[in-house]
Amino acid sequence: MSKIIIIDDDPDILDASSLVLTSKGFEVITATNPEDGYEMVIKNQPDLIILDVMMNEPDDGFFLAQKFRRANITTPILMYTSVSKATGMDFEVGVMVPVDEFVEKPISPEELISKVEKLLKVRIAR
Amino acid sequence: MISLIPSWAHHYDEFWSTLRKRNLWFIKLRFGAAVMLASAVLSAEFLLNLKLTAIQETALYTITFSILAYNVLLVYIRQFVKCSAEAFNPIHISLIQMSLDLLVLQLLCYYTGGIESPLFMLFVFHVIIGSLILPGRIVYTFVTATIAAFTLVIYLEYAGILTHHGISGLLSAPLYNNNAFIVLHLSMFAFVLIMCVVITNRIANELYRMEQELFDSLDKLKSAEAEKQKYIMGVVHEIKTPLSALQSYLDIILEKYLGPLDEKVEEKLSRSRVRSQEAISLIDDILKISKIKLMDELNLEKISIVDLISMLTDRQSVNFHKKVISLSINNLRSNDGMIEGDRLLLEIAFSNLINNAIKYTGYNGKIDIDISDTKNDLTITVSDSGVGIPQEELNKIFNDFYRASNIKHKEYYGTGLGLSIVKQIITRHKGEVSVTSPSKLKTASNPGTAVTVILPLAV
Repeated sequence: MSKIIIIDDDPDILDASSLVLTSKGFEVITATNPEDGYEMVIKNQPDLIILDVMMNEPDDGFFLAQKFRRANITTPILMYTSVSKATGMDFEVGVMVPVDEFVEKPISPEELISKVEKLLKVRIAR
Repeated sequence: MISLIPSWAHHYDEFWSTLRKRNLWFIKLRFGAAVMLASAVLSAEFLLNLKLTAIQETALYTITFSILAYNVLLVYIRQFVKCSAEAFNPIHISLIQMSLDLLVLQLLCYYTGGIESPLFMLFVFHVIIGSLILPGRIVYTFVTATIAAFTLVIYLEYAGILTHHGISGLLSAPLYNNNAFIVLHLSMFAFVLIMCVVITNRIANELYRMEQELFDSLDKLKSAEAEKQKYIMGVVHEIKTPLSALQSYLDIILEKYLGPLDEKVEEKLSRSRVRSQEAISLIDDILKISKIKLMDELNLEKISIVDLISMLTDRQSVNFHKKVISLSINNLRSNDGMIEGDRLLLEIAFSNLINNAIKYTGYNGKIDIDISDTKNDLTITVSDSGVGIPQEELNKIFNDFYRASNIKHKEYYGTGLGLSIVKQIITRHKGEVSVTSPSKLKTASNPGTAVTVILPLAV
């Protein structure tokens, strides 16, 4: 069973996302700040990391994503954003922002599930 | 090297463009002056019965011709002017103009009688103009030089070293050899000239200073507006966070992740979800507008509007089918010029227009997108056979949060920000957007709306 770590400072978003993902049979671990999140990823070796873009500081999510990549953690990262790409925030999947996919809040259950499944499939293919 | 740029000129762009405009204006004026001079010579001879000598006539026509010649030359060298303090700039043109004009005026005075000539009054006019465009000390130098040169010529004539060219028939007795007359005239001349420069310079400086202050205030206002937009973005973001959580829970409950629901509860929760979705799309629109207003630069690239529009209509094909709306895209262009623009922003603008057309057009309606061009512009018109906009409200349609009275509180949900976003984007692309209703697709029951966007073609 795939293991997913969600890192977000909003406990309700953590709760709601966990509910959706556990109902699909995923094992979900949550963390409410970047430091705990990083430790848990190291300890639990998840198959997917879900990361909120803004935690205490705007950009915290990006920094954490870069930290994972620098530590050679290649686990796919799905990022929750509060602003869509359409608002001109140029989130591009790439080197600067080393994440694999974005979901704009509010996160609809279907979108979350489909993106999670897509990323996990890529993970298996890798 | 003294600086030619006045100390008050902080806003260089405005400073240079004003100077350029003034230079051009003086060049145009000078063509008129040459014509006036030639006709003055003719009318002096024929209407006033003044006798000009052959030398005087030759001199005056040569001067007229020289004015025309150096004016043409000025028009020619204007194109090499660069608006930069280090390069050949508009101030240099002003200096050249002023020097040549003063020299020509000096000659004109000499050949029409020196101190006896009424033409010396024209000096006043020139120093006033000079004071308007040049820094104070330059103008003072010019004035001092003018007074000195004029005095020198007068006294050389007085002493008989320079030949006097008086206009016969003008004075009953010559005055160029009357020292008292010369002293009085010259001192009044010098006094008037200096006073003119002092007064004009002061007034001009004061005006420039006020103008610059206005520009400074405008800059401050702009940065305050940017601050405000950032603040709004921050606040709106904060509002979105709890709403997103609320929406997530509603989704989970309504999609039965927590088990079956009572029918009545489900209905009310569905309404709650619709209402919270409304709030979130309003927030997203406000964020979009703030972001566009804060954008300093556009990500410019060459874009084919026809491709962009067919991509956007493809994306909406489900909605066209759902409402059985017949869409026709009419490419009426004679060239296939591209637009230079920000792809993302133009996508937002045109998808807003297309979505609006679909939203406000009833079942079995029609939507036409016409794309035509002129030499410099591309015109895109999105017409629909929808509900239309009341005539008296057309001018308010681009205001933030404006919604037409005939669609308010109806089945059409909207934030009233769509067209405002479109306007922001099109304006940022140096284009224009306008709305007309009824449109060419009007039916017996529906007037329809047409939105026209004009964008400059890429060069």
